[in-house]
Formats: sequence, structure tokens, C-alpha cells
Amino acid sequence: MNLKNDLSDSELLRLMLAGDEEALALLYRRRQGGIYRFALQMSGSKTIAEDVTQDVFLFLMREGHVFDPARGSLSAFLFGVARNHVLRRLRVEHLLAPLGDESDDDVPLVHASSELCPLEDLTRAETIESVRKAVLSLPSKYREVVVLCELQDVSYGETAEILGCAIGTVRSRLHRARALLLAKLRPAVEVEETGSATVKSARCFA
Amino acid sequence: MNDEEMLTRGLRSLAAEMESVEAPEAVEAKVLEAFRAQRKVVPMPRRQSNARYWLVAVAAMLLIAITVVVFRWHTGTVDTPQQAKQQTSPESTPKLDEQQPSSPQQFVAGANDETTNPLPQRRKPRRIHAPASRPEVAQVANHVTNEIATDFIPIGYMSAANLQDGGQIVRVQLPRAALANFGLPVNMDRYNEKVKADVLLGVDGRAHAIRFVQ
Repeated sequence: MNLKNDLSDSELLRLMLAGDEEALALLYRRRQGGIYRFALQMSGSKTIAEDVTQDVFLFLMREGHVFDPARGSLSAFLFGVARNHVLRRLRVEHLLAPLGDESDDDVPLVHASSELCPLEDLTRAETIESVRKAVLSLPSKYREVVVLCELQDVSYGETAEILGCAIGTVRSRLHRARALLLAKLRPAVEVEETGSATVKSARCFA
Repeated sequence: MNDEEMLTRGLRSLAAEMESVEAPEAVEAKVLEAFRAQRKVVPMPRRQSNARYWLVAVAAMLLIAITVVVFRWHTGTVDTPQQAKQQTSPESTPKLDEQQPSSPQQFVAGANDETTNPLPQRRKPRRIHAPASRPEVAQVANHVTNEIATDFIPIGYMSAANLQDGGQIVRVQLPRAALANFGLPVNMDRYNEKVKADVLLGVDGRAHAIRFVQ
């Protein structure tokens, strides 16, 4: 068993900056998933998510010495770097609102579940897809708090560190973001409810 | 089920759905490759730059040390007349203190001049070793201490403003009768002899004060 697995992120970073490749590999495997998912949920593009993940760790290799453990966790630091890269890419590629305009690499992330019956599975998949699109259609300042707090399960305090704002601002943005999401999803919810009623009536007549 | 709960459920479902999503392995390979390339390139310039900084630091320290030694050596030779001046009696100090020029070394340069040449002579400081110059300094100081001088007597047209820019003391010999012109008593037995005097010259070249030395 590798003893470095027990090391903290900061210690791995220190070893990595000293030239330890194994420390970089461990740090990458520990943090890449969150960074990749954050970039994917923010951009809706696998290509951008891969580029951002790579850029974040390249930045860490070059400028890792600027990380100060007293100011927050390495995870928050990496999310902050990823956020800057994502916003820069979105600004360049004008992909801030890709709702209903899926690109080639914009693959739906919903997979079928074998535990549910096909109808429920389909309904669930549709719900998740509609939520994903609604999140992607949010303005970036609301989208990032939803992605971090609701989808990445990052605490309000860490989110405030990542975004460089107060916790109160995070709460108010999240509240506003949820209201926007509800407004976007309401027609779908109504359709879903109507659809399920039709199915029920069909079964009654069958 | 209200809308808020449905939204929360939807977000949780999306988060759970994406929990297993990770970056492709190709990204990790690229990152590690970049790390290896960086590790190969970076250390060499660092060593070169460190060596260069050390070289510059050593050169700077050597330069500072040489400068300090030269300055101290040079200062030691220049200070010699000042030391002689400090050993002179307080009576030889002119009363015109507030009218003295800002550079007292200009007075000192002429004060120990034993020649009778009334023209001001500026000597360049000679480079001599400090231990060799000390007996000479003591000799001059003793010689100066043995002299008795009157206070400086202002000459009629002197004005205080003229001495602000500096001046010079020149040792001269005058007929003893000149003492009478300044109201001093004259020994008639030595009437034909000459008397030594220090003349205070301003920057304009005119005599501003005089003192008689015995």
C-alpha cells in the first residue's frame, strides 16, 4: 500500500513541486473528478471540460507555490482556477446559453437504470435532462453557485472562497438561482404531471 | 409534491447521475507528460541563475570592501591638517565665528603655511602612510601651540556677508610699524624688525581681518 495515499493535499502539492511525479498522479486522481464535473456542468461541453481539467493541473504544476493553505483548502483553490478557465473559455466561445443548441460533443449524461421500470426510467431521465438544461441556461453567476452547492456538494463557506464573495451573497444567489430554475422547469413539470395523468386514464380504459 | 421538492429531487438526481463521471485517461497522460517535460527543463536554468547571483553578490562585496579601504586610507591623509588645527590653542580662534566660511579646511590650509609668500597656495593632499605622517603632525602642532597671536582685528572695509562663501588665512611678514596702525603698542627698540601676521582673505581676494603672531 502506498504511504502517500494518506498524505493531505497540501503535502502532496509540496512533494509535487519538489519534483515527485507520484505525488502529482495521486493528487490528480484525487481531485480530477470534481474539477472535470464542475467544468462539464458549467459548460455542457466535454471538450471544454477536458481542456479545463488539463489546464488546471498544468497551472498547479507551474504556479502551485502561490497556493496558501491558510487561505483555504487546495480543493477550493483548484475549483477557483477551474472557474476562471471555464468562464474564459465560455467568453471566447460564446457558449453561455447553449439551451436547445447541443453541439456534437454535448452528450446527454443521463444513463438508464436497471433498477427501475422502463417508464419510470424514462421519466427520470427526462427530468434529469431537463434539470441539466435548465442549469446550463442560467446566467453564469447563478449557475456556478448551483453547480458548486447543489451538484458538487461544496459548503457555502468554500463556495464563498472559490467565488471570492461573502457567504450571504452565495445564499442569495442560490435562492435566486433556484427561483429561476423553477420558472424554467415549471412548464416541464406541468407537462410531466399531465402526461402521467393521461397514462393513468389510459390504464383505466384498457 | 411541491415545486421546491421536485427541484431538489431533480438536482440530486443529476448530481448522483454525474457522480461517477471523470476525466478521460488521456488527460492524465497529458498532464503527467507535461510534468516530466517541465522537470527536465526547469532545473538547469535555476542552477545557472543561482550561480550568476552568487557571482554578482561576491563581486559587489569585494567592490564595497575595496571602496571602504580606499576611502579610509584617503580620509586618514586628509585628516592630518585637521588634527593639527584641533590642537591649536583656543586663543588662536578668530572672534568672527559667525562669519567663518562653511568650510573650515580652507582656513586651515593657510594657517600652517610657514612661507612668506602672500599668495594663497592650495596643496593637494599627499599620499603618505598615516604612521609616517603622525610625527610631522605633532611637530606642526607644537610649533603652532608655541605661537602667541592676537585676536583677529577687522579691517575697515570688511563686511560680514563677504565671508559667507569662505576665505583663507595667509601668513605674512609686515613692518613692526604696522602694529601702530591697528592701535597696538610698538617696541621702538625693535622698530626695524618685521612681525608675523595672519591675514584673513575673503573669496574676493581682499583682506578682511588680521592678527599678529609672535
